This record gives sequence, structure tokens and C-alpha cells, in this order.
Amino acid sequence: MSEPIIICQDVHKWFGSFHALKGISMEVQKGEVIVIFGPSGSGKSTFIRTLNRLEEHQRGTIIVDGIELTHDTRNIHAVRSEIGMVFQQFNLFPHLTVLQNITLAPIWVRKWPKDKAEEVALKLLERVGIPEQAHKYPGQLSGGQQQRVAIARALAMQPKIMLFDEPTSALDPEMIKEVLDVMIELAKSGMTMIVVTHEMGFARAVAHRMYFFDEGLVVESGTPDDIFGNPKEDRTKLFLSQILTH
Amino acid sequence: MEREVTAEVEKPPVTELGVIGWIWKNLFGSWLNTLLTLISGAFLFVLGRAVLTWAVREANWRAVTNNLRVLAWGRYPDDQAWRLGATVGFLLLLSLITWLVWRGGEEARARRYVLGGWVLSPAVLTVLIYGVRLPTLSTISNNFGYYLFRPDVLIALDETWRATMGLAIVGLLSAVTLCLTAARRWRVAGIAAMALAASLTLPLGLQAQPWILGLTAPLLLRFALALGIGYWAGAAIARALQGNARVLQALPALWAVVVVVLIVLLTNFEVGVPRVDPVEALPIVQPSIWSGILLTLALATVSIAVSFPIGILLALGRRSTLPVVKGLCILTIEIIRGVPLITILFMAQVMLPLFLPLEFNVDRVLRAMVGMTIFTAAYLAEIVRGGLQAVRHEQVEAARSLGLSEVLVTGLIVLPQALRAVIPPIMGQFVSIFKDTSLVAIVGLLDLLAVGQSVIKAREYLGAVREMYLFAGVFYFIVSYGMSLASRRIEKRLGVVES
Repeated sequence: MSEPIIICQDVHKWFGSFHALKGISMEVQKGEVIVIFGPSGSGKSTFIRTLNRLEEHQRGTIIVDGIELTHDTRNIHAVRSEIGMVFQQFNLFPHLTVLQNITLAPIWVRKWPKDKAEEVALKLLERVGIPEQAHKYPGQLSGGQQQRVAIARALAMQPKIMLFDEPTSALDPEMIKEVLDVMIELAKSGMTMIVVTHEMGFARAVAHRMYFFDEGLVVESGTPDDIFGNPKEDRTKLFLSQILTH
Repeated sequence: MEREVTAEVEKPPVTELGVIGWIWKNLFGSWLNTLLTLISGAFLFVLGRAVLTWAVREANWRAVTNNLRVLAWGRYPDDQAWRLGATVGFLLLLSLITWLVWRGGEEARARRYVLGGWVLSPAVLTVLIYGVRLPTLSTISNNFGYYLFRPDVLIALDETWRATMGLAIVGLLSAVTLCLTAARRWRVAGIAAMALAASLTLPLGLQAQPWILGLTAPLLLRFALALGIGYWAGAAIARALQGNARVLQALPALWAVVVVVLIVLLTNFEVGVPRVDPVEALPIVQPSIWSGILLTLALATVSIAVSFPIGILLALGRRSTLPVVKGLCILTIEIIRGVPLITILFMAQVMLPLFLPLEFNVDRVLRAMVGMTIFTAAYLAEIVRGGLQAVRHEQVEAARSLGLSEVLVTGLIVLPQALRAVIPPIMGQFVSIFKDTSLVAIVGLLDLLAVGQSVIKAREYLGAVREMYLFAGVFYFIVSYGMSLASRRIEKRLGVVES
């Protein structure tokens, strides 16, 4: 195996006196799809947000694509432009059209000419299945469409890694599938992905490894077969039984 | 039982009432409504008749009509008044073009030109209203010659080797710049440098000089040759250095060195005082004699246009994480907001000259403009801060996650959303400062209201108080209402469906 693209060692994070991450270690290889799940407040969102430094970790080391995350702002911009992120609440820019949302970062960060950025953006919109919405504003789209635009926006920077922070949790049930389909297609294309989700069907279909978080710690990790077929920890069993029974 | 599916979609029932229906429903719906309608109708009728009778029969409108010119521009010289007309015409034309371009589809390029026109418009307005002083062509060439070659050099042509050398160096570096960089501004800089060098040497180059083999030829030939050889050498060097990023970074420094070398080479350190021989293309009209509507509008326009960017900067500074910047901004905002506008106007008149060197005499109108600008800026800062707080933090996170720097996050994501949210209060502040321009009368400036007051003190117009104040009131109302209308249009135009 080659050098891992993400290396985390003993990552700690406090919010005031609350100890949110109590020493997370993880290595992710290029092309791997990692699913992180666990009860709310377990630190899973906080953890993936430390990977592009939307949250600063206070102890331990995080190395992404060979760059260690430190206070050096130049490092942060370099790392962030290689990592795409998709949020639970989509967070599209409401004052820009779909096309402008997608082309913004390529034009201003990558310094692409506008024509090239728009060409790439239209291709991405086609890939996520909504090329006809290019000139609408985010507020005119459904939740599922907005989330697919958000994925296209992240992909427009041609990132090496994609982070998904509960991408389907804010969606109506009938829209979850359209977003998951896009994510599955992306996983199969070889993208390195770290996904915080409770969509166990998705995990079973494409995840290489799964991590169960609880109270700021990795309780258990393993392949989907291990986790679903043969969970070792009681807490994992309990949590899985709670989310899989209905 | 199955419902029959018809092709025709059911339409909502017609609920439009028509004029009579509306009147009946809203004015005579109940006996109380009927009573109120009758009473207020009678009241309005009596009032309206009284006002109309006064305005048509009794009012002495001559106080206004005879003094329209004074009220409009006061002491602005009459023979220069056409410039004010030209100003209005320029603004109308620019507005018309803007309207046409914005209406006529998505031509991004045309829009950029129109925006450029608006950005340049302050300069045009200043030139038109204030005036402009231009040096004559002969002065320009003379002064260049003086600065760059010294007068004796112009005579002692044997020293032209300096100019030749200078041109060769400029040509060389320009060529390196042009060939090495793809960046447009550097290409423009290179061409501009060559053009400037060529034009500077023109007065000298026009002189004839015995050249090779005793043949007489204008110096220009030698200069052109020097420039050409320099360019050729530069291009060759650039080809050799292709792809060397460090040279690109060193370019600005190289240019700085070259400028110094040129000055030393060309002037031999002896820079004299050139002959100044300006022509007044448009005679200067000092702001201190601007008055009437002209002054009112000038004060309002300048304080609005200048305070807007300052207000935004203050608001951003107040949210800064740097304690010094933040503290200074808070201090500025709170001090200015804690003082009445009248006090600021007096302070600007009295204090401003204290901070500036003696010979730098600031015009009284300009002082008032400064006062009103900082006053408006402080209030705008607080309004904009409100807008900044309304932008959700998730927007900032999303922008950061794309790799945008903090400056870009602020400029592209936060500010546009923040300003959109606070258009109504910003416009309110603008309307308010427009009306507050009437306060400058207190520091002795003759705005519309002050001119009006002095007119009705004249013997022949004594007693025309109501007419004059009504005229001023209507003027203020029309402009203020126009601003509100514009605000509503902008809101509608930028109205974005929230996600």
C-alpha cells in the first residue's frame, strides 16, 4: 500500500471544557470510502470538520495529502482547495445562481478562465443529473437538487478527497435516493470519501471501512461485513439495532 | 366512484371587484365605515379647496419664479451655468444607457463598460462642476525635457547619448516583460513604458543632428534604433529565461531599479523647476461659492458616495479579530454617533484646518462635506454590521471549505448578502443625510434653504414665506421620494429567494 492520503493521530478537541474528541486515530488510503456513524453528539461531525480545519484540533496531528494542518494559513487554503465538503444544510450561496455557485471557487481560487469553469460546471451538473437548473437560484430548487448542486460545487475544484457531513439528514425521504445515487456513482469512480451518515444501505454498498463513534471515541471499526455481521462491542450492537429496526 | 379527469384545469373564481366594487366594499362596507368616509371626505374637500385657493389666487409665486436661477445655483457664475446643464445631461445619458443595457439581456461586457462609466463619473462631475486646469502642449514637452534632459542638454546635443542609452534600457526591460509574462497588466505596463519613453524623447528627437558620414538626420532615427536594439536584446533574453518563475517575481523590482537608473542617467541629478503655463480648459469655480440646489445636491452626493465605502470598512473593522483595528473602529463609530451632526459640522469648520498644514487651505464647503461624510459613515457602519450579523456562519464555512481566502469570503459571500439584507435602512440613512444637508446653513453655507431664506428677506418679496418654504419642501420631497422608489426597485431587482 502506498502512503495514506489522510493520517490522523490522537486528535483531541475541546469546546470550552467539553471534551468532544478524545484521541481519534485514523488512516485513509487513496480511493477508500469511509463511513462514520454513531449517536448524535458523538463527535463524528466535529471530527470530519477538523480534516479541513473548519474546527481546529488542539492536540495530535492531522496530515492531509502530505501537508500537516497547523496555524499556517497558506497550508489551510492549499489543503481546503484539495478537499471538497458537502454539508447537511447544503449551504449553497443564495445570492448566486447554481452555475455561479459552482464556478465561484474555480474562477477565484484556481484562476480558471470563466469559459473553462462554466464548461466544467455544466458537465458536473449533467453528472449529478440537473443540467437544466444551471441558471436558477438555489432557493428555487428542491432539497435534493440543492444537495446535488452542493456536490457539484465541491467537485468543481477537482478535489482529491470528499467529505460528507450527514448529506441526507435534512432531506425529505423521497429525495434521499437521488443524492445517494450520486454519491454511490462518485464512490465507484474511485474518489476518496469520508461520509458521516446513518444510511446503512449506502455503507453496505460502497464503504470499505466503517467507524462507530461514541462520546468522542472510536468504539469499533472494521469492514461493513464485520460491523453488520459480527459487531464486537455492545454499544455498536445496541446502536445498530436501534437504527436498523425501523 | 371515479373522478373524471378533464383536460381543463379548474381556474380560481374571479375575485376582482372593479373600482365601484372596491369603493363599496372598503368605504361603505358598514355604517361606521360610511360615516368615517363621509367625515374624512368633507375634511379633505375643505382642506384641499383652501390650499388650492391660496396657491392659485393669493400666493405670490414671484418670490420663487423670479429667483429660480438664484435658488438653483446661487453664486455660481452665470456664464458657466451651462456646465451644470451639461452635468445633468451627462447623468441623464448615463442613466439612460444603464437602463437600456440592463434591460437588453445579459451582455456582460456592456454591463462592465456601464459600471466603468459610473466609476469614472465622479471625476467627470468634478471636472464639469469644479473646473479643470490643463498645461499647454508646449509646457508638457518643455517640462519633460527639463526634468529628463536639463535645458543645457537640449542645446548640447552631444549629450544625447544618455537619452539613447535610456531608451535602449527601457526597450530591453519592456521586451523581457512583454515576452515573459502572460499577465495582461504586465503586458500593458511594458507597452506603456515604451510609449512613455518614446514620447518623452520626442521633443529632443525632433532636432536634426549630423550623424554618420556627415549625413544629417533627425535624432529620432537614432532613438528608434536604440529602442529597437534594446527590444530585440530583451526578447532574446526572455527566450532564454522562459519558464523561470523567479525572474517573474523579480520584474517589479527590476522596473524600480530601471526607473532610478533612468532618472540618474537622464537628469544627472540636476532637477530644476519647470515652467508652468497652464490653460484653464474649464475655469475653476471654488466650492465656497457653490450655493442653492447645486450645493444641496453636491453635499448629499459626495457624503453618500464617499461614506458608503468608509462605512463598510468601519463595519468590517469592527468585526475584525485584530484588537487594535477593532478598538479603533469602535471608538470612531461611537464617538461620531455620540455627537450631534451640528456639532460635527462646526468641528469640521474649526478643527479640520488645525490638523492640516497651514498652506493647505481646505475650502469651507469641502469641510462641510468631510463632516457629513464621517457622520454618515458611522451610522452606515452600524447598519452594515447588522447585515453582516444576519449572514449565517454556515455560509462562511461553505466558502472556506472551497479554499477561498478570508478576503474573498468577505467580498464574494458575506458582504453581498449582508448589503442586500440592509438596503432599506441604508437608503433611509441616505434620505436622512440628504435632508440634513439643510443644517449647513448654520455654519454659513448657502444651501437651498439658506438661499430661500435670504430671498424672502429682500424687500420686494417680503411675506412670501409660505411660498418659499413650500417650494423647498416640495423639492426635498421629490428627491427623497425618488430615492425611496429607487431603493424599492433595487430591493426587488436583487430580491433573492432564500434557501
